[in-house]
Amino acid sequence: MKYDAIIIGGGIIGASIAYNLTKQGMRSVAVFEKNYISSGSTGRCGGGIRQQWASPENCKLAVKSVHLFEKLDQELGFDTEYYQGGYLLLAFTDEEVEQFRKNVVMQQGAGVPVRLIGVDEVAAKFPFLDTSDLKAAAHCRTDGHINPMLVNQAYADAAKRNGADIHLFTEVVRIVRDRDRINSVITADVRTFETGVLINAGGGFSAEVAAMAGITIPTRPQRHEILITEPLEKFMDPMVIDFHHHIYFRQTKHGSVVMGYGDPHEPYTHNIQGSLEFLKTMSLMITKVVPAMKKVKIVRQWAGLYNMSPDAQPILGKVPGVSNYYQAVGFSGHGLMLAPAVAELMAELIVTGRTSMDISDLSIDRFAGRTEFKLEKAVV
Amino acid sequence: MRIDKHPVLHFEKGRKVQFYFDGRPMTGHEGEAVTAALHANGVMVLSHSLKRRHPRGLFCAIGKCASCMMRVDGQDNVRTCILPLREGMRIETQEGKGRLK
Repeated sequence: MKYDAIIIGGGIIGASIAYNLTKQGMRSVAVFEKNYISSGSTGRCGGGIRQQWASPENCKLAVKSVHLFEKLDQELGFDTEYYQGGYLLLAFTDEEVEQFRKNVVMQQGAGVPVRLIGVDEVAAKFPFLDTSDLKAAAHCRTDGHINPMLVNQAYADAAKRNGADIHLFTEVVRIVRDRDRINSVITADVRTFETGVLINAGGGFSAEVAAMAGITIPTRPQRHEILITEPLEKFMDPMVIDFHHHIYFRQTKHGSVVMGYGDPHEPYTHNIQGSLEFLKTMSLMITKVVPAMKKVKIVRQWAGLYNMSPDAQPILGKVPGVSNYYQAVGFSGHGLMLAPAVAELMAELIVTGRTSMDISDLSIDRFAGRTEFKLEKAVV
Repeated sequence: MRIDKHPVLHFEKGRKVQFYFDGRPMTGHEGEAVTAALHANGVMVLSHSLKRRHPRGLFCAIGKCASCMMRVDGQDNVRTCILPLREGMRIETQEGKGRLK
């Protein structure tokens, strides 16, 4: 069996690249997923869509993504629960306010309709928040959130309709490479598939996928924990992120509140066990920010992997020395929201060799010979 | 409906207290489950399903499901099957998913 393109990973990145490759005319495309659609990081993530980033590159990519998200349900024929309820970033210190002030200017320049709002306006518009220690907030009305599993499935189904093969429960265990070219992959059930190009969309396992092809990449998995509450009548429009308490939360269409806490000391491992410590910390932090949460019951908790890159920004494109290997990895917790733009640009790169928006800043070359990086700080 | 005598179990009953169900005064025993007091007063419908608004009665009776969620003294989503009755409690039928309060 021979494909023009093989994608490893059936999460949002793999599924959206598969769809865009078929859309841009590639005939035979296959996704290999070791479990099922959304079984990895996508199905475990918070579902936020945000254009407010600390670097212009991330902002531009996110703006492009939002334009695509706005038309996505229609294009894919699927109700993904995409909701542009806005996104609120909370500042609790003067340093954070100063940083937000700078970011907002940069973000507005990148086309993000964001503005800094005062505590009084926050209190009036978002009465569920405790604003007693708040200094200011940044609000972008076209940000929002989506159901990660539905949008992942929507892309996979659309790719399949366009002729792509989605191999579920099919783990790639070997990548056969001859000098600068990848020839084929071998699956756990000992089948060989030849390929024109190989795309690494391995998420939390991207470094392991690259290693099978003899390629070393600087991505590391890191557990992030998350929980969901009982459903409540709608009380909040925006997704809220708070870098001071390391938390984010949003209300789903169903009414449940999804919330996560990013432990700054979490080690880099593949562990995705839920912990009691998380439940305690999350409860403490959320009730500081939304006191009424004290009475709300938790339904379940889980965890997933961020695929961290050294500067917390994605690594896109080719690597030196291999002619037909591409990667879209290291999203560092914001792969879902960038997926529509990244997938379109990756497909352009693979099909035509060029991209309609410059993403060369996000190639792996940026790490060559460097040990210190400008970190994307707007991450929880 | 109330079981007063049981061949195995012994029920200790608290003193008689008044409470309110949707504004109507009722009596029950202090410390018994709110749902037990409601059943003794003939109230079997505790909530309604969210999609089709079908009536929901006592189901798990151990605080694990959502059948008995009611508004108690203004607080939504209270599991009345594991809530001890107190004097003057205001129990109300809750429509919808409950408000953040």
